[in-house]
Amino acid sequence: MSPLTITGRDTTTGPVVEVVGDLDYAHATALRQQVERLTLRPGQRLVVDLASLEFCDSSGITALLAARQHAQAAGADIVLSGVPTNTLRVLTIVGLDRVFTIRPDAATA
Amino acid sequence: MCGINQDPEPSGTGDGTGTGTNAVFTALLEDSVEELYESAPCGYLSTLMDGTIAKINTTLLGWLGMDRETVVGRLRFADLLTVGGKLYHETHFAPLLRMRGEISGIALEMKVTGGGRLPVLISSVVKHGSEGEPLLIRTTVFDASDRRTYEEELLRRKQEAEQARAEAERARAEAEQARRQAEADRAQLADALAVLQQSLLPASLPLVPGLETAVHYHTASANRLGGDFYDLFPIDDTRWGFFLGDVCGKGPEAAALTSLTRYTLRAAAFHDPEPAVALTTLNSVLHDRYTATGDPRYCTAVFGIVEPGAEHDQATVRLASGGHPPALIVRAGGQVDSLPTPGGMLVGVLPTAPFTTAEATLAAGDTLLLYTDGLTEARTGPTRKNLYGEEALYAFVAARAPSAPQEVITALTGLLGSFGDGLDDDTALLAFGVPAARPHTLPATDHLR
Amino acid sequence: MDICSRNNVTVTGRPDGPAVVLAHGFGCDQNMWRLIVPALADRYRVVLFDYVGSGGSDLSSWNEERYATLDGYAQDVVDVCDELDLERAVFVGHSVSAMVGVLAAKAAPERIGALVMVAPSPCYIDDDGYRGGFTAEDIDELLASLESNYLGWSSAMAPVIMGNPERPELGQELTNSFCATDPDIARVFARTTFLSDSRRDLKDVRVPTLVLECAQDVIAPREVGAFVHAAIPSSRLVTLNATGHCPQLSAPEATGEAIQEFLESLQ
Repeated sequence: MSPLTITGRDTTTGPVVEVVGDLDYAHATALRQQVERLTLRPGQRLVVDLASLEFCDSSGITALLAARQHAQAAGADIVLSGVPTNTLRVLTIVGLDRVFTIRPDAATA
Repeated sequence: MCGINQDPEPSGTGDGTGTGTNAVFTALLEDSVEELYESAPCGYLSTLMDGTIAKINTTLLGWLGMDRETVVGRLRFADLLTVGGKLYHETHFAPLLRMRGEISGIALEMKVTGGGRLPVLISSVVKHGSEGEPLLIRTTVFDASDRRTYEEELLRRKQEAEQARAEAERARAEAEQARRQAEADRAQLADALAVLQQSLLPASLPLVPGLETAVHYHTASANRLGGDFYDLFPIDDTRWGFFLGDVCGKGPEAAALTSLTRYTLRAAAFHDPEPAVALTTLNSVLHDRYTATGDPRYCTAVFGIVEPGAEHDQATVRLASGGHPPALIVRAGGQVDSLPTPGGMLVGVLPTAPFTTAEATLAAGDTLLLYTDGLTEARTGPTRKNLYGEEALYAFVAARAPSAPQEVITALTGLLGSFGDGLDDDTALLAFGVPAARPHTLPATDHLR
Repeated sequence: MDICSRNNVTVTGRPDGPAVVLAHGFGCDQNMWRLIVPALADRYRVVLFDYVGSGGSDLSSWNEERYATLDGYAQDVVDVCDELDLERAVFVGHSVSAMVGVLAAKAAPERIGALVMVAPSPCYIDDDGYRGGFTAEDIDELLASLESNYLGWSSAMAPVIMGNPERPELGQELTNSFCATDPDIARVFARTTFLSDSRRDLKDVRVPTLVLECAQDVIAPREVGAFVHAAIPSSRLVTLNATGHCPQLSAPEATGEAIQEFLESLQ
């Protein structure tokens, strides 16, 4: 189990949040808190880069849903990029592949 | 005197003992017996048997700051002592001196004129007359100020050590008490958790005429409440409802969600047991309660109805899935089918969510298996990096097909055990099927831990 | 452990004579009575003992709770009388032991028929209208003395019981342990003795009583002797021409005579 590291940077279209490590019950709150601290303006796009995500469980999915809520409340979009295969599989089973916008990598997001 | 010997060796004298040398010593010292007594480096006094002081030397008078006239014939030995000393003198010193005729090295304190106290060491001896009768007491007094200071220091340290020991003992006892309390609290908490845990799941599956049933529930952590749920319950004379699912998160929050989910589904089933409707009701309840208030939470679930045929040789199943892995059907012929429900959405996140319905018929010897993803998400392999996965599960089940419900559950229970600490999530397994041989129901099994 | 061993009981004198129990006070042990035992041995059955914690008693039987009150010592007396099955014995108590006798006689009236109080005091600390002779600070000084003088007592060495208990003879050498006590036990006995107040118990005395006081006694001054005599209706007061607190040692003949006269008056 790797600990979670979250880094953020700003782009012209909006903030990018990079998630490295395990997004699980112990660490998911950190992502929620980080995202909720971001100021989003209408029309912006929040990109959550999951390319270095090692593990994601139901708590992690909840954190992503919370991020989506925060973006929607601000009138912004949310995109998940670089989603690992396992996580994509889980998102598909629960139907969230039709709820989140998913892109292959952060650059094209 | 070193090196100087002016005295000629006496020669011709009888004993040759050097008496000349002694005379020189005595002459040089100019000491009379009187002076030896009066100016001795210690105190001397002599008393009658009743303690009246008959003689006292100058040294002692000087220490006490007293005149000879005030003392001799007027005071008793005990009058020179402090009150505590007087008590000790009467209860210990005097009796011992009477019985043994001597006593030595007794520590007492004498009163000094002007208000001070002199710590002393006292030795006394009784002088007896020609017929053995006691006549008088001779006493020597040593100034024990330094010795007393040393003793007090030792005593003080001893008391401090004793105090420290007592405090350490107290601290230890307190720590022990705290530990025992913590232990009791922990035990109480564990009991409370166990009771709560019990309330989240049915104690045992009911007997369903025409069906064999089996269940297994694995808790990842003894101290955490479960996040998986299942149930099997009668709807009416011919139909039985069932559900199985998995809430997000862990701990007490997840348990609250489990509880709400279970009872909402049960209630919904009585209202309208159509599976997609029941899940829709659940979706509204969870969405309004959680996601709409800014606290998104969800569960995945399968809800269905099973109706055993009147002859107990088949059963129809109609189920809907909300984002949950598909059910498996292990056929009597040995093949394994899945019962896919594509398009189902996890429950509670969107204000309205689609739930896909599917149907199947179970023939004699067929078993339907529902599971939560603790099973397929278990980490395996030497590096624990790989997840067990659905393909592996299918292969495992297929290798043992056909299987009655209990056989499937037992085999999968063993599989879960084999994951060791690679299995770090709760897992629920529910299986039911139409009996292969005689159409009688096997007793429902209690879920195992 | 049987009582005779526990309390180092010595029985001497005339086996069929009336029983006289000699009880030591605070300080030493039954050896205090050596000089007057011969005078009594001809006619009386003399019983000597040590309170638990003193002399040759069994120190392992000592516990602070029991021996922090005079009742604990009174119980020792009753135990000894029960063990020897004494009937209406004469109890001779020195100093605080006289008060112990009062309590024992109240608890077991069939065992104790008369009291001899040698240099008694029911209360050592001055009070309103009462002169006991001491203040509480004085008692603390005594306790300090006890801490400083072990008198040969050693925790590594159990007190040796002196030899030939049947006929203690004058001049026989005592063991080194005479008057030596465990300092912790001595401290408790000292506090119990000097902080006790038995004045109210004196009015309950129902047996013939002899009060023997010394002419000059720092520990039990004349006022105390008068007080005790006045408080016990049936008592007789004899003032010995002796100084100090232990007339049985400093004036053994006079003490022995006074006791014998009293004993004869009881017949």
